Amino acid sequence: MLISFISIAHMRGGINWGIDFVGGVKVVAEFEKSVTIHEIRKTLDDSGIPNSVQQVTTGDKNEFSVTGKLLKKDTTGAKTFDAIKGSLDGKFKNVQIHSNESVGPSIGNYIKNTAWKMILLCILMMTIYLAFRFEFRFSVGAMVALVHDVILSIALAGAFQVEFDIPVLAAILTIFGYSVNDTIVIFDRIRERMAAGTTLPFGELINSSINQTLSRTVITVFCTLLSVIALFFLGGEVLHGFSLVLIFGFILGAYSSIFIASPVVLWWENFIKKEEPKKA
Amino acid sequence: MTQRNLLTLLIIAAVTVLSIMLVLPTVGMNEMVVVLNDDANANQIEQLKKRFPSSKYKVSVDEKTLYIEGLGLNNAVLNEVLKKDEYPFVKEAKISAHWAESALLAKRINLGLDLQGGSMLVLQADYDRMEKKMGRKLNEKDKNDITSQALDLIRNRIDAFGVSEPQIRTRGADQIELQLPGVRDPKAIKDLLGMTGTVEYRLGDHELTAKAKEAMTTLKILPPTDMAQADAAIVKISEEIKCPADKEVLFYYERDKTTNKIYPSFPIVLEKAIALAGSDIASAAPGNDDYGRLAVSFTTTAEGAQKFAEATAPKNKGRPLAIVIDNKVRSAPTINGQINAGKAVIEGSFSDDEVNILVRIIKEGALPVDLSIVEERTVGPSLGQDSINAGIKAGAVALIAISLFMIVYYKISGLIAIVGLVLNAIYALAMLSWLGFTLTLPGIAGFVLTLGVAIDANVIIYERIREEIRNGRNVRTAISMGFEHAFWTIFDSNLTTVLAALILTLVGTGAIKGYAVTLTIGIIANMFVALYVTKFVYEMIASRREIKKLSI
Repeated sequence: MLISFISIAHMRGGINWGIDFVGGVKVVAEFEKSVTIHEIRKTLDDSGIPNSVQQVTTGDKNEFSVTGKLLKKDTTGAKTFDAIKGSLDGKFKNVQIHSNESVGPSIGNYIKNTAWKMILLCILMMTIYLAFRFEFRFSVGAMVALVHDVILSIALAGAFQVEFDIPVLAAILTIFGYSVNDTIVIFDRIRERMAAGTTLPFGELINSSINQTLSRTVITVFCTLLSVIALFFLGGEVLHGFSLVLIFGFILGAYSSIFIASPVVLWWENFIKKEEPKKA
Repeated sequence: MTQRNLLTLLIIAAVTVLSIMLVLPTVGMNEMVVVLNDDANANQIEQLKKRFPSSKYKVSVDEKTLYIEGLGLNNAVLNEVLKKDEYPFVKEAKISAHWAESALLAKRINLGLDLQGGSMLVLQADYDRMEKKMGRKLNEKDKNDITSQALDLIRNRIDAFGVSEPQIRTRGADQIELQLPGVRDPKAIKDLLGMTGTVEYRLGDHELTAKAKEAMTTLKILPPTDMAQADAAIVKISEEIKCPADKEVLFYYERDKTTNKIYPSFPIVLEKAIALAGSDIASAAPGNDDYGRLAVSFTTTAEGAQKFAEATAPKNKGRPLAIVIDNKVRSAPTINGQINAGKAVIEGSFSDDEVNILVRIIKEGALPVDLSIVEERTVGPSLGQDSINAGIKAGAVALIAISLFMIVYYKISGLIAIVGLVLNAIYALAMLSWLGFTLTLPGIAGFVLTLGVAIDANVIIYERIREEIRNGRNVRTAISMGFEHAFWTIFDSNLTTVLAALILTLVGTGAIKGYAVTLTIGIIANMFVALYVTKFVYEMIASRREIKKLSI
């Protein structure tokens, strides 16, 4: 499943990097009622500005979000913004600009570096914490599930061409923390039963623990999804990508905790057991 | 009720009341005091009153002071009222401190720029260029120092502009971030920031200048369109004319009458030595030159007067004395006579704005490093308001949906969980108020997310209690076992989310930090509510001896 989604993401053109990462100008402007999205696109195309336009109407305002790639040699975004404004003002009357984000190319690099740092830090901290609270073999299982979730969430974002901007990055990092949640609940149950003294073989212990915690896992994911779905439909355009990625992440988090984390722990356990006789 | 239970109840009550008080400055009524100019007339007072209709606000007037009470009086409104072009008769305005602010150190939760409208600018210090000029590399400490110096100067410049509560801070060693609430069109501020402000008088060389002009035509160099091109052109021309080590080539800039922008016109050769610097100028004011054009008239310091006299001494008669502003030559009048009085005029086809900016900059000093704007985000107030509405709607719907589900699935226990959720929200808001927090749209998202995550703790406990009851334990034991077993699970799982959020706080930028902080605080408040408050409620329930069945 992982492979299929990554390939879909690739076919759709890879990740749709937002201006926060590659620089560019994003403008939310209100036009007169009669203006259509095609007219806006054409005007900008004619002016030689590579662009993408989306309708973001709230209520009865005819609003569009216009994203323009940085023009050559524009180190600050100002030239691109002037160009876009000039082009739109030239063709349409009464254009009101409600918001403007101009990001120069250097910022994108800064943010990319920061993003990598954050992701690596997260992975490191999770691994240490899990190894500390549970045994190492559990940590392995949890990390595999975690990495799976994050990669798949990113791939899904690419497949749906979600604009990858800073809030989406925050969503990915939230998934980091959240994906481990469900896994911990299951592991906690396993650990508790092991401590209480159980005669069940490891595999069956895992299975029954998962069953026992299943109701909790499902309900929690359901409630959290309620929050995020509310955000998705009502939270406004800015948080759209963010909420969508979180929806993927939460569902995946539950799925991976049940179907990936624990089996991996079992597999690792068996793998280690096979190794030890060899050493002896 | 046992003594311990009574104590717990008191603690919970106290925390709740305290929290509500902490939240008051934000959601409660505020008062804004507006002082008008002495010559403000009745019409103008009416105009201002119209902005605050009596349906939403209570306005009382006392001589030239207006007292306005209502909800939602924040910085954006303050900046609106202080706008000189709309309300020129307003002398000053401020929002009175809420009693909770002084008594409890509560602070109003600020709205981020994406919610109240305003501009955010990020300036990049050009250390590459500086290193090239200085011929050596700068280490981190140097860069930090210079950036801090630049920050102070920028702050002075912005203060003079009159923006209420701007936030100016460094980002890394070489960037400065400005947050300007209520500023819808930052063009004027951008112009102000764009000028580094180095002002220098330098003697020029007629012969070499003529050669340089020739070289430009022979080498077929086109007039440069940006600094990088200008630098490259200067290097080529310097080589061609074999410019001596104590002189350098710069470009002379003229103003285009149609676009009103300055552009490089021709190369000119000047001595590297500075005859008179901005620091030698004691005071400056807008004025006119001999031809009546806009200029900056200034007086020098005592030392400066001497330097100026030397530069304009008879031995230099006939040479041009160029005025260089930000490495651009703006004028180069020929020296006709010695100037002893230490008074002169800086001329150079300036626009109105430029003269004012220049005067201010000379007074405060030049920026130690060139800055350029690399990021700009502006949000108009209507979009900001839309975002707030959207966030609140999403939060309300999420709360209702979760409540419905919990009550249907867990019955009365569900109700207890929801009350816990509301308390959770109040405690979290209180903590944020106490921290003096700035709320952004991602911050609202974090809050809504916390609702879903918070309910998780309750679910874990309830499912455990249900299981114990299913296994045949009596109610009281089931409850205590439920909480006991659940404790570490809740702790561990919440902690991982908090860890992820903490990393975001440390490394993230403004808006994301807000999101991470709301999430973290929401979860911490949740742990308190789930493991202390809800537990208490259940202990109370369990202590009733007749309990045989639990509504769960």
